[in-house]
Amino acid sequence: MAQALARGGVIYDSEASTAYVQHVMERLFPEFKGHIYVAIVKSSQLNAFALPNGRIYVNQGLLVRFRNEAQLATVLAHEGIHFTNRHGYQEVQSGKDYAAFGAIGGMIVPILPQLMAVSSTYGFSRQMETEADVQGFARLKRAGYDVHESPKVFEHLIAEIKAEDIKEPFFFASHPRLLERVENMKRLSSGAAPGGDGASTTAYAQTMAQVQVDNLESMLSAGRAKSALIMLADPERLVELPPQAQYYLGEAYRLRGAEGDVKRAEEAYLKAIEGTPEFAPSYRALGVLCMKANHYLDAQKYLERYVELAPSAPDLKYVESYLKIARKKSGGTP
Amino acid sequence: MNRIGTATFVLLLAGCVQAPARVDSMPTQAPDKSYSVDLPIGWIKQGSPDNRTLIASRNGFLLEGMHISKRPIKEAFHRTKKAATAQMLPAELAELEIAELKSQDQFTAALTVEQNEPAEISGREGFDLRVRFKNTRGLEIQRVVYGFVDQAEYYRLSFQAPMLYYFDKYYPDFQKAVESFQLAAARK
Repeated sequence: MAQALARGGVIYDSEASTAYVQHVMERLFPEFKGHIYVAIVKSSQLNAFALPNGRIYVNQGLLVRFRNEAQLATVLAHEGIHFTNRHGYQEVQSGKDYAAFGAIGGMIVPILPQLMAVSSTYGFSRQMETEADVQGFARLKRAGYDVHESPKVFEHLIAEIKAEDIKEPFFFASHPRLLERVENMKRLSSGAAPGGDGASTTAYAQTMAQVQVDNLESMLSAGRAKSALIMLADPERLVELPPQAQYYLGEAYRLRGAEGDVKRAEEAYLKAIEGTPEFAPSYRALGVLCMKANHYLDAQKYLERYVELAPSAPDLKYVESYLKIARKKSGGTP
Repeated sequence: MNRIGTATFVLLLAGCVQAPARVDSMPTQAPDKSYSVDLPIGWIKQGSPDNRTLIASRNGFLLEGMHISKRPIKEAFHRTKKAATAQMLPAELAELEIAELKSQDQFTAALTVEQNEPAEISGREGFDLRVRFKNTRGLEIQRVVYGFVDQAEYYRLSFQAPMLYYFDKYYPDFQKAVESFQLAAARK
């Protein structure tokens, strides 16, 4: 499975981000250094999983939902325990998890995407998940992380899952019910002294800035506007994101297409231009919006600025065709 | 007979699938006569029972092939549940196509858009999209999609093949098919 993931081009190619996540993992499991490896998967879905060979995969989408390093460490500690306690092998022996069997036995490769879904969906037994929670929590504490952040991981995700109406998020499908997990983590952390490392949201946001942008692009290009809005419409999160995030907010509104979203998109694009005047896509988006509203002079102005800023953009042929229409309709030279 | 063969045989008997046929002449009429297209002589073609899809392949449908389909624009895409509208610009239609493909699995989610530009198909404004992705074995696959809206229907013509050998070999046949594509006279 690890080979297929690498061959399939789904591993996120960022040395800095991967090294950072690997560093957190090694802080949690120092004695397993050289035996446990983390990779980031190019996917905006909320998922993380462990293979029996010590490969831990965390999706881009899940990484950017965390608010700080302590929250990331919570999930890494949990997945790391699945590896150190050999949960994958035990599942195969019990014959319950066909996906784990596939991962170990190198089962038929063409059905791998389905296998991965099965693996994530069925996960491990409830007992193993609880074990990963409890022992993962102990790792978190030993590494000096702020353990009071751990219940928040699940609280944020509950809010997101409700907002997006996700029936069975992969990562949690066979884990104890989310609410139970929050209670579990709260119980574990209740006796712990306040404080600890990794609670800074600013430091984490800075480290994850590029992953955030890449994930937003990935989400929006996959048509997942509602998911993008959960992050972008939250003012607290928006300020942590790079300045061009206002453009992505506009795109999320445009793609959602609910009542009033065109106006919201326009406002966001204008804010993006104000915050990052050299960021070309905001001009193209505004230009298209104006053209669709028959405001051809404005459309022409924005689209010309886009061409000026991005003379070799891949969508230049579309933009040139829009400009032709805008110029003709506004009485200028086509 | 393998399982796929058995299933196909049973479906054929039940009349649920049209039998594959060799392309012997040009042009090929759409199953519902709404368009005609020059499919390459010698290829195998097959129509869907609902008359909405026509597929053609030289070496086997699982290896490489053309896929021509039409559907009501109000009908949502299978995975993204988004529907096209008559007001959509060609670039927005292409955006829907990309989103649908990216939602297929983790491998197509990592696709690269090689080309996305306006195109004219049978006199209608549409898009010409070319994407590339790897399958689970690391084999690079290329897909080209042309799409446009005519009245209340969304038409798409696509070709997919492995980059290794097949794409370059059969892409010119697909291009000829796209150039020959004509909506029925009454609909123009």
